[in-house]
Amino acid sequence: MYGESPLSTDPSLYAALVEALPDPILVVTGSERSDLTGRRFIFANTAARELLRIIADAGMLLSAVRDPAVLSVVDKALFDGADADGFYETTASQSRSLRVRARPLGLGADGTRLALLTFHDETEVRRVEKTRVDFLANASHELRTPLASLSGFIETLRGHAKDDPAAREKFLGIMQAQADRMARLIADLTSLSRIELDEHVPPRGVVDLVLLVGEVVEAAAPLGAQRGVKLDWRPCAACPVAVRGERDQIVQVVQNLLDNAIKYSPDGAAVRIELRSGLSELAAAASAEGVPRLSLVAPDPSSESYASLRVTDLGPGIARQNLPRLSERFYRVDGQKSGARSGTGLGLAIVKHIMNRHRGGLVVSSAEGEGSTFTAYFPMAGAPEAVVKAS
Amino acid sequence: MNEHIVRSYEDELNSLAAECVRMGGLCEAQVADAVTGVVKRNQDLAAAVVGRDDKLDEAERDIERKTIRLIALRQPVADDLRRAVAAMKVANNLERCGDLAKNIAKRTLVIIESDPLTPLTRSIERMGKLVLGRLSSVLDAYSRSDLERALAVWSQDDEVDEHYNSLFRELLTYMMGDPRTITACAHMLFVAKNLERIGDHATNIAEIVHYEITGAEMVGGRPKTDELRL
Repeated sequence: MYGESPLSTDPSLYAALVEALPDPILVVTGSERSDLTGRRFIFANTAARELLRIIADAGMLLSAVRDPAVLSVVDKALFDGADADGFYETTASQSRSLRVRARPLGLGADGTRLALLTFHDETEVRRVEKTRVDFLANASHELRTPLASLSGFIETLRGHAKDDPAAREKFLGIMQAQADRMARLIADLTSLSRIELDEHVPPRGVVDLVLLVGEVVEAAAPLGAQRGVKLDWRPCAACPVAVRGERDQIVQVVQNLLDNAIKYSPDGAAVRIELRSGLSELAAAASAEGVPRLSLVAPDPSSESYASLRVTDLGPGIARQNLPRLSERFYRVDGQKSGARSGTGLGLAIVKHIMNRHRGGLVVSSAEGEGSTFTAYFPMAGAPEAVVKAS
Repeated sequence: MNEHIVRSYEDELNSLAAECVRMGGLCEAQVADAVTGVVKRNQDLAAAVVGRDDKLDEAERDIERKTIRLIALRQPVADDLRRAVAAMKVANNLERCGDLAKNIAKRTLVIIESDPLTPLTRSIERMGKLVLGRLSSVLDAYSRSDLERALAVWSQDDEVDEHYNSLFRELLTYMMGDPRTITACAHMLFVAKNLERIGDHATNIAEIVHYEITGAEMVGGRPKTDELRL
């Protein structure tokens, strides 16, 4: 009854079908257990080529994957002829957890043994669970301080400050500020956990950075003026600069970097915002002389060219020993937990996760008393005209 | 086992490199499990890492034996000689990494007897991830003869040092704050130091890959941060 199905008459459809499967699939051959180079993959679908970053259609198995768990699963299927399951975790910047299954396929035409190797992504399942645990721990800890302060003031207002209008006014002001802080915290936390959940979903869409950064700078100008900080926006000559990414999230990156720069700038100073395009990966990784620098997110080497957004402030700078902790959640450099510059401590963590999702990079260079520079690298969309090497 | 099979010279060289890559995979797993063990305070995992170290030692001896045999019987020159020597040197570095991972696991068994130091383990986790990324990147470079990637690993050595220095200060703060944490912190300090040295071995491997492909040694000093400042 399936005789009419196009699948039975056109074998190439099967190939297209396997190629299009969302789960990575490889076909592996091997002749002898002791022959390492003899274990080869003779087919890998698109998902497998992406996961294992293989370019060729066939090759040595070890050049694609060297994880001992995966190799032993393959061996079991090839040489013991038994089904085998395992677990594989990638070590790239976006680490993924995958269930690995190998099934024996019998002997090939030339007498070599064949096996099917499939991967199934379980990153999301594990992540959701971990995120929920982290969220609860973080949120309850950070909300405790403003909440304690709120209930303290309520007690005072009910007690001896009951009939003192001046004190009441003052306390209500503080309570308002604390409530605002809690609201900010909750907003940041929800946004962070949402970003985390999407971290492994590649972003869709193309964004013009020149236009986008221009808009964010314009919107941030009033905040800058309020603190006496000038915004010095220098778009690059090549216009427009198209990068792969989700508009809202990139806006959030620019906004958070700008907010930080404005927050830590002294009165009357300027914040410089520069945009460059067509950088190669090595240029993105090249280090500046002298000033300590650290990449918080390493750019993914899969892209050929990057656009960089550099935000420089003339603030107090960050001591070298604090650099590695910058993108940690709720980390604020000493003495910034309270007062006029208090933030939620989540801004850079959000930026980090967004950049990670966009397979971009984030580099900070800073020295105490010399201001700080944050540079975000975005993979550019489409083929670049010319790749400029770092000068 | 299969001496009766006459293999070509090229085959022998290839399988030498393949064995190195497989050993690299083992080594990565050891480092990853050692870090997970100390971060998640997992005794079983730590014990498993200690138990598996023999495999790496065995692999190194095997590669060394085969390399010497190949050099003696085939007398390789130029590219082939460099490939053979590189395999032996890479195996050497990997074995050292394995020892360091084993040491981390041994310390884990002591560390988990005292109370957890949550923010500190987060720093260790971050550093471990960074070091593991470098190791895995340089092994990719080796298995695919990717010079550019090897150079990228080589030039980013200073980041691990930054993490180490930062952790060092963090640990000092803890120990000064509460002397009861000194035992665990002292072990943590060695864990951090071991990770830093695994990072150094990754840089070494990058240099070996460079030598294997180009025949020239890396020129210029490797980027280093200043002396540890206290």
